[in-house]
Amino acid sequence: MATRNSWDQRISAFLLSPSQFLSCTTPDSFLSELLDELRDDKPNDYKKILLLKLLLEYPTVLCATTSVGEGTAQELMSVLSLTPQKSVNLKCHLLLAITNILICTSCLDSQAKAAEDYTNFLFSIIQDTNDNAGGPSLHLLRVTACDCLREMEFCHPGLLSQKLETLYYLKQQETTALHQSYCMLYTRGLKNAIHLLTLQNDVDNAKLRGVLGGNEGFAWKSAELPLCTLPFSSMSHIPQLPTALDCKELKSILSLLLEESYLMTPTLQAAVLRELVEVVAMIPAVPPVIFKSQLLRLFGTMEVELMHAALLMKGTFTDSLFTTEDENFLLKRLVSMAQHPLLGEPDKQFYMDCVLHFPENRPISSSGEEGLPVLVTPRLTLSLLPTVFKDSTTMLCQMHLLSLVHLEADGGDEDRGLTYLFNHLMALLKIVENNGSKEMVVTTFRVSFIFLTHFHHMERFSEKLVDSFRQLYLRHGRLAPHLINLVDRIQECLAESLWPVQLLRALQKSIVEMPLLQLTLQDLSWHLKVLGRAAQESQIGQRSTVVFILNILINSNLCERRSWQVGNSILAVCRHLLQHPTLSQMFTEMADLLQHMSRNYEDTDIQDHARFYYTLTTNLCWAKLAGVLAKGPEGRQTKVRSWSAILADSEGLTNCLNVHQTDGCVLQLSETHEHIPRCEETVTETLKTPHEKGLFELYQEQLKTSGCAVQLTLRYSLTHAKGTDPRFDRIFTICLHFDTNTSHYEDVSDIHVPCLFRDRKPPVVELSLKLRQPFPTSLRLSAIFTTEDGLSWHTQMPDVDVSFPEIFLPVPLPLGTSRECKEEVFDHIWKSTSSGEPSSSATSLFCFKTGSDALADLIKGNFEDYLVAETWDQSVWKVFTFLPPLCHVLLMIVQAEDACQIHIATDNWELLPHIGSYLQNITALSKNPASS
Amino acid sequence: MKYPHGKSGASMSVRALWIVSHEKGESGKVRFSRRYPTVELRAKCLAGAQYVAVPEDCVIPQLLLTELGLVEPDKPYMAIRDDCARLQRSPAVELRLGGPGGKTLWPLLTISQGGLILACLPLIEAPPEPRPHLSSLASVSQGLALLSGLQGFLCGTVGKPPEPDVLASRLATLPSVLLQVCPLGTPLDTLPQAGALPATMAPGPGGAQKQPAWKTGVHRGRAVVNVALTEMVRSTQYGNSSKQDMWDVYGTVVCKCEVEGVLPNVTVTLTLPPNGSPLQDILVHPCVTSLDSSILTASSVDENDGSAFSGPYKFPFSPPLEPFRLCSYTSQVPVPPILGSYQLKAEENQLKLHVILQLHESVRNSFEYCKAHLPFFNRSLMGSVDVKVNSGQLEVSKEKNLLVWILGQKFPKSREATLEGAVHFSGHVAGPTDPLCTDLTAYIKLYFRVPDLTLSGCCVDQHSVQVYSSAKPRIVTTRELVSSEYYIWNSTGDAPVSSGLMIL
Repeated sequence: MATRNSWDQRISAFLLSPSQFLSCTTPDSFLSELLDELRDDKPNDYKKILLLKLLLEYPTVLCATTSVGEGTAQELMSVLSLTPQKSVNLKCHLLLAITNILICTSCLDSQAKAAEDYTNFLFSIIQDTNDNAGGPSLHLLRVTACDCLREMEFCHPGLLSQKLETLYYLKQQETTALHQSYCMLYTRGLKNAIHLLTLQNDVDNAKLRGVLGGNEGFAWKSAELPLCTLPFSSMSHIPQLPTALDCKELKSILSLLLEESYLMTPTLQAAVLRELVEVVAMIPAVPPVIFKSQLLRLFGTMEVELMHAALLMKGTFTDSLFTTEDENFLLKRLVSMAQHPLLGEPDKQFYMDCVLHFPENRPISSSGEEGLPVLVTPRLTLSLLPTVFKDSTTMLCQMHLLSLVHLEADGGDEDRGLTYLFNHLMALLKIVENNGSKEMVVTTFRVSFIFLTHFHHMERFSEKLVDSFRQLYLRHGRLAPHLINLVDRIQECLAESLWPVQLLRALQKSIVEMPLLQLTLQDLSWHLKVLGRAAQESQIGQRSTVVFILNILINSNLCERRSWQVGNSILAVCRHLLQHPTLSQMFTEMADLLQHMSRNYEDTDIQDHARFYYTLTTNLCWAKLAGVLAKGPEGRQTKVRSWSAILADSEGLTNCLNVHQTDGCVLQLSETHEHIPRCEETVTETLKTPHEKGLFELYQEQLKTSGCAVQLTLRYSLTHAKGTDPRFDRIFTICLHFDTNTSHYEDVSDIHVPCLFRDRKPPVVELSLKLRQPFPTSLRLSAIFTTEDGLSWHTQMPDVDVSFPEIFLPVPLPLGTSRECKEEVFDHIWKSTSSGEPSSSATSLFCFKTGSDALADLIKGNFEDYLVAETWDQSVWKVFTFLPPLCHVLLMIVQAEDACQIHIATDNWELLPHIGSYLQNITALSKNPASS
Repeated sequence: MKYPHGKSGASMSVRALWIVSHEKGESGKVRFSRRYPTVELRAKCLAGAQYVAVPEDCVIPQLLLTELGLVEPDKPYMAIRDDCARLQRSPAVELRLGGPGGKTLWPLLTISQGGLILACLPLIEAPPEPRPHLSSLASVSQGLALLSGLQGFLCGTVGKPPEPDVLASRLATLPSVLLQVCPLGTPLDTLPQAGALPATMAPGPGGAQKQPAWKTGVHRGRAVVNVALTEMVRSTQYGNSSKQDMWDVYGTVVCKCEVEGVLPNVTVTLTLPPNGSPLQDILVHPCVTSLDSSILTASSVDENDGSAFSGPYKFPFSPPLEPFRLCSYTSQVPVPPILGSYQLKAEENQLKLHVILQLHESVRNSFEYCKAHLPFFNRSLMGSVDVKVNSGQLEVSKEKNLLVWILGQKFPKSREATLEGAVHFSGHVAGPTDPLCTDLTAYIKLYFRVPDLTLSGCCVDQHSVQVYSSAKPRIVTTRELVSSEYYIWNSTGDAPVSSGLMIL
């Protein structure tokens, strides 16, 4: 149960973020674990399907190379062959996973053997038509196999191009519902085969017959021919077969496919129609009229994909399939679908888009601009006029479409439609005024934006709108950011429009005329935002703003309330005012205002800034002043940014205050392969007189008092990861944060590194670990740092693995302790652990084969620091390691005649598996040094 | 893949699929996701340098909720969420992935229902820039159909997400459902309704006739054909000469046919009375084998010219096993079934009400139920209610500020029901609010159902149902009229416009 749970957790962790999941392990090791689990008999089908989901959806993440992909596919095929017949679902998932792996890791393109075998295998599955041999239980398997082959043909176009006759035969044979899968497979193969033909120069009747009667193997080489998309809005670039070909057989094949399409699900009908449209477009000898018999059925359908298929036919064949009458009819149909009470909102919105971009028979203008079809008139679209009862997204779609319709309408009677749109907007504003929901507010401002972008030049509307917004603002100051956003956006897309300035002027006027008694602190902060925005417009006089603010400061208790935020908002307005070209006309008032603030505002920071502004104002000419206060351009140095942004809550400031997330991994720690045992210093001088009391007893006493203080110190260098993003070439104030994630280690404190430059030597980082239990682990690691432009970043770094041998320390005896003394302690501990003292002790034996030279190298390479004794003939070695906080691992290595034995003794039996795998590791390496 | 031109053939596939749940005030959670790596590979080839990879699941909810305006509900304004120029061309939204170059993922199709958001990313065959029209992308309608199928599978027809445990079990079966419906990113079928598993295919009939893919087996046993016609009537009445009252109906015909044979032929005929106005905007089920062009000509977009085809409407089809919607239509009927008048007068702390409901003489005076809701918004809670009715009973829900007038099964003999009196609003406790119904803007909403009646006069005659099979089937036909969005606005208040057609 425990493993079950842990797999569930691992699977969901992987699905949530494969990159984060794999930063703790490697794809290879995780893949091999996955495959082991899939090979295992114990997990049930449901669990195996869950495991397969990872391979099915992330094949390239788990199989990085073609060879790994091929190996994995072969593994899964062997799992498939061992899966019992009744596990149909699991078998199907295996098929899908293998298909995805083979395609995504390029095994299919490189014609790897596994891909060939597998394709043949799939084909053998689908040859059992009508479940004659396998029985109905394999039905689902055949559906899946058909779809896998179709996907292969998708990704390797032409693969089936030499098998058309076989596929046609299978399609005709099949009478169960599965015939549609065969039909799709055949159609896709046919389309690609014809497409390949069109690219050949000398196509004659025999070649065409040869393709249709193809009965050979898979065409692995075909995809080297170029294949391009068929654009279906214009016929100009579609490659075509020669006109003179005899296409009688092809025509009858197509007719039969069309006739039988009725028997398919609507989804596949739409797909097959789409394929056939492209086939017919490539064959001039088959006229599009072949589709005529299907049109009426499609026009009447309630299925969105079938209706869409009809529209796509219209786009491809225009007047060679659709008469003017058909065209009118189809458009009317689309309009009525766009408001049909029985259709869902997404479908209706989609149909509105179909109306907006209806492909007309008349020559399509080449400009590519979003022009409205001429057939779409105000009268046709009356029923699409928006109402307040519609949901937001539908309303916005309608507003967009109808605004275009009425923009192109030429006054007169049609004007009523435009008035209607305006009244609709007014109705929305009224709802907002009556405390409409937040969603309604956003929708209303979006509707306003759409209306204004189309009709801002019509005074009768724009003036009324200004007045409505003004009144709305007076009741709801909280709308200030929406209004400012509207003004900004209109200005961006309609640079010449006067409307934004008109609105701001009206808002400014209303604000400055407000009686002081009506002002609340909350409203005031909104007003200051609006006034600040109005102060950015050179066409708007600002004297009234200055007088208004001064008046508030003098006649209210604002200065005594010490609100830093309000003071800051006022200063933000002042900053814009100081840059205003009419500053000279309001110079005295401005100076009064700043002076008043610098003297009376009871917040030192605000006072300081006001005084600073005052000094600037009174000492600099306007041009210089504007230059000093102007916002630094983006991306310049930190100081410039914060200097100019300090008082205005601009985007730049928000940017500065946010911690950004890096896209990929930017930093990493890499090992320097040296660790410094610190333990010696912690053992006191008393041990220098070993023989007074037993050396061992002293050592044990010593450990009891100071052993826990032993730290493990690992050294790494901090370097850039693979990426080459120049923004991160020079980074500063790096803070590394470690998560231990295990109770075996105490928390690790953050490490600070001043800077890291790509072109300098990487700084060395010392990681000090305090262990509670001597087990290997891996630490999650992230960093926060600053870049040159002053932005702060957070990045996830690859995990730091603390391996088992890295925990080894020499026994904490004083530096000068002789080997003999060490051996004495060794023997003592050996004796007591062998006799089961303490109770957690354990002994074990590990044997392996090696030559005597190799053994010496092995010992020198791995245990040199820990060796306490060796016999003269190099047949017995004693290795004595200490694992913080309090454990020992003792190895007695004996070179016997036929094999080498390692006797193991430890006072913590839980270490045995780690010791075992460690020894296995190093001995395997020494046996096969080439692979190390 | 080796595409020298970097393009593959066109397709109708989806790159990925998500089901995200979100509770008010909480961040969203991916409840289910499915990626199609081979489709993704094709997307990469098609888009070339403009390719944008699908982000990991952990960031999807935040991106999605931001675009749908659902993130941080407590903040009144957020530039990234509320920008007025950010016009999503529904039903497709664009996800802003951020990072260098401001990458975006488009078109992400979404359907929201209650706290559930269903989303899928169709593969687009055209170059991503300049952005193609939605209607030119074949995979968009496939994606929409897939999503609405998914919606039906998870939520049924109820219109709200099911209980958490039901939802969880439906989500758990989704992998095996998708195995059959969309194994490799190209949809093969729509999903079954309300958590049902796709039926396992019955063995083929063995004959030469191919089994329709939308029919999972063959019926054996007594033949029964059930045809149910439901007509919904909508109306908005203002009682005001400056605003035109509106009403229309829309109907659906649902069939359940238990008939033997692989591909049996059934024909259902709808007929109208001699002077009936034609059925418009007819939509039919894909199992209908052929259609007469005259059936489709009448459209609500056109003005009626009287000469339009008005039946009989013949629908030959070969039925699937399960109940299905054979066809639907809209119709402009000459009169509303119930004509109402609603007058409010505000006096100090009270509203004087006067309501008349008049049942049209052509409508049978026999309801299954009929009731009228009179809600009052933006006022303090009701005090005393002093109201008299000449028919039915009155229920008062003081905490909801709602009067419910239950008219029962019959209108009085005069076919006129009246309600008169006054309601006091004197308390200090505020009642329900509504941004639309301020001052004297108020409405009555009617709910009723009349069995064995259609307003358009449309009917399915039992004898007109033809079944071409050996055994004589039992044929059952029913019809009913049900109200839908039936509003009567106070004529002394300022009522909102309910349709653009009013300006005609």
